[in-house]
Amino acid sequence: MAVIDKRMTLKEAVSKFIKDGDTVYYGGFQIMVPMALTHEIIRQKKKNLTTIESSTDVGGLDIMVGAGCVKEIHTAWIMNWYVKAPYAIRRAFNEGKLKRYDISNFGATSAMMAGFMGIPFMPILGNIGTDMQKHNTADLRIIEDPFTGKKVNVVRAWRADVGIIHAQKADRLGNVISYGTRGVTDEFGANGTKRGVIVTAEEIVEPEVTRTDPDRVIVPYFKTLAVVHCPYGAHPSACRGYYGLDIRFSQYQGRYERYADLLPAFLDEWVYGCKDHAAYIEKYKSKFGQAGLDRLKPKLGYTPSPKLGIDYGYHDPACWKGVPMYTDDRLKAYEEALAAKKGGK
Amino acid sequence: MADYKLTELMVVRCAKEIKDEEVVFVGVGLPIMVAAFAFATHAPNMIMLTEGGAIRATAPEALAITVDDPAAFAGGDATSGMLATMAALQRGEVDVAFIGGAQIDKYGNINSTGAGDWTKKESFTYFAGSGGANDMATSGKRVLAIMPQDRKKFVEKCEYITTPGYLGGPGEREKLGMIGGGPDCVVSTMGVYRFDEKSKEMYLAEYFPGQSVDKIKAACAWDLKVSPNVKETIAPTAEEVKVLRTLDPTGFYLG
Repeated sequence: MAVIDKRMTLKEAVSKFIKDGDTVYYGGFQIMVPMALTHEIIRQKKKNLTTIESSTDVGGLDIMVGAGCVKEIHTAWIMNWYVKAPYAIRRAFNEGKLKRYDISNFGATSAMMAGFMGIPFMPILGNIGTDMQKHNTADLRIIEDPFTGKKVNVVRAWRADVGIIHAQKADRLGNVISYGTRGVTDEFGANGTKRGVIVTAEEIVEPEVTRTDPDRVIVPYFKTLAVVHCPYGAHPSACRGYYGLDIRFSQYQGRYERYADLLPAFLDEWVYGCKDHAAYIEKYKSKFGQAGLDRLKPKLGYTPSPKLGIDYGYHDPACWKGVPMYTDDRLKAYEEALAAKKGGK
Repeated sequence: MADYKLTELMVVRCAKEIKDEEVVFVGVGLPIMVAAFAFATHAPNMIMLTEGGAIRATAPEALAITVDDPAAFAGGDATSGMLATMAALQRGEVDVAFIGGAQIDKYGNINSTGAGDWTKKESFTYFAGSGGANDMATSGKRVLAIMPQDRKKFVEKCEYITTPGYLGGPGEREKLGMIGGGPDCVVSTMGVYRFDEKSKEMYLAEYFPGQSVDKIKAACAWDLKVSPNVKETIAPTAEEVKVLRTLDPTGFYLG
């Protein structure tokens, strides 16, 4: 792949590199969820996607399923932890619109490591003896260890067509700098892709800056298809050093996820109704105030920063104590009508 | 007697299962609180691992909301990712795998995948899924679980086995080559359970103050066996409660 400037808009990146029917590596974990890319995939009404990841939070994949973009998921854990359920996924599974293949976290990580290494499968210790093993034979099989003759569980290699990830920094060539959790599985999922990865980043740095500390690069430029400058690209999940988790917004979104007839209103307002991620953040400010965003700011200077000028920062979850739930008139009316209906029974 | 909440009793009781210098793989929720308490009291040399990939010789400064919360990583000794911590599990280096779940059965199998019959798709209610619990319970030397208790959560047989306990009974883990020893202790909202060495069935070892054996049996869907030496759990001391509340000053976890 040529050494070229890969910067483009969210819209260009998704329309150019994600095709209907693709298998997509869905980046992040409970933090660094690629939310801006999730919204753009929904906006462009991509269809029949298959996703692979280990665990994903804040309902990003849940709304992508709710919007009808996904036909199949391979996962260890999905939900919006702040409403304690994967509501849209639950409904899509019940209605037969979604195939779901369950595996453990390390099963998924091992599957992506095998893909990353270009080998067909990987032995793992977990999953054996469970209902995941029983129901997910697409990913899990027991074979004989050729050296000992004992039974060994193996997981099929996962290789996505394309990956979507969020990172703290990237340069225009596509070197991706992620730190604080080493991306959990982004290194394997993104590098294991067949075509490459789309990255949204809080900041764009010069390649010369990247080269002062190449240890931090989890995806080298030749695996990167597109670089999108996208502040708050993981919101409402956290991006270490930039913002903490937005619990109240996750709960607000989760209450929309809960009802099939209410979720479209959320998508209309926050996804289709916003032309890009900057518009989404502007909408957030107009609805929940600058104070809402300010609450997410980490305290900087928590650790001395020898490399790349990195300040990991520190966001204390205790900041949420006493902060009232986010709501709006539509949500209030819906929940009140529902409560009245229940009370009337 | 100290004034304490149920969550505080559970946390203090769980912490007593952790010995100093042990390697503890900590799941999300109250386990994080237990680890912080153990660090602050009798287990200052504990090694804490999380599935997000943090390796810590000290308690996080504040309590993380999730296993992947940056708060669990700040000031950590190594934050090399899930591969590093989960590989330590598979190498057999984790002493205590500390997990939660939605449903547990008499052999200590745990369901965190969903309610109902999975093959009847229209009626299966999905939860989040295994996360790392399966890996932790397969390979950790011993499993410590913390669970809410009622008849729907303490069942004869899990509707879906996500995380292995003793599966169908004695010898089954060994047959499948699992390196971990299986469930050792369960702390519920009502009492403390252990597993019979021969039958591998879960039995009641302690009841919480204010509970009784009868009440606990009524909140359990199988005919729960009770230790002949069953006793009341020792309530947390005023000092223990004080330490706990210092660790969670806003009551985020403890309520």
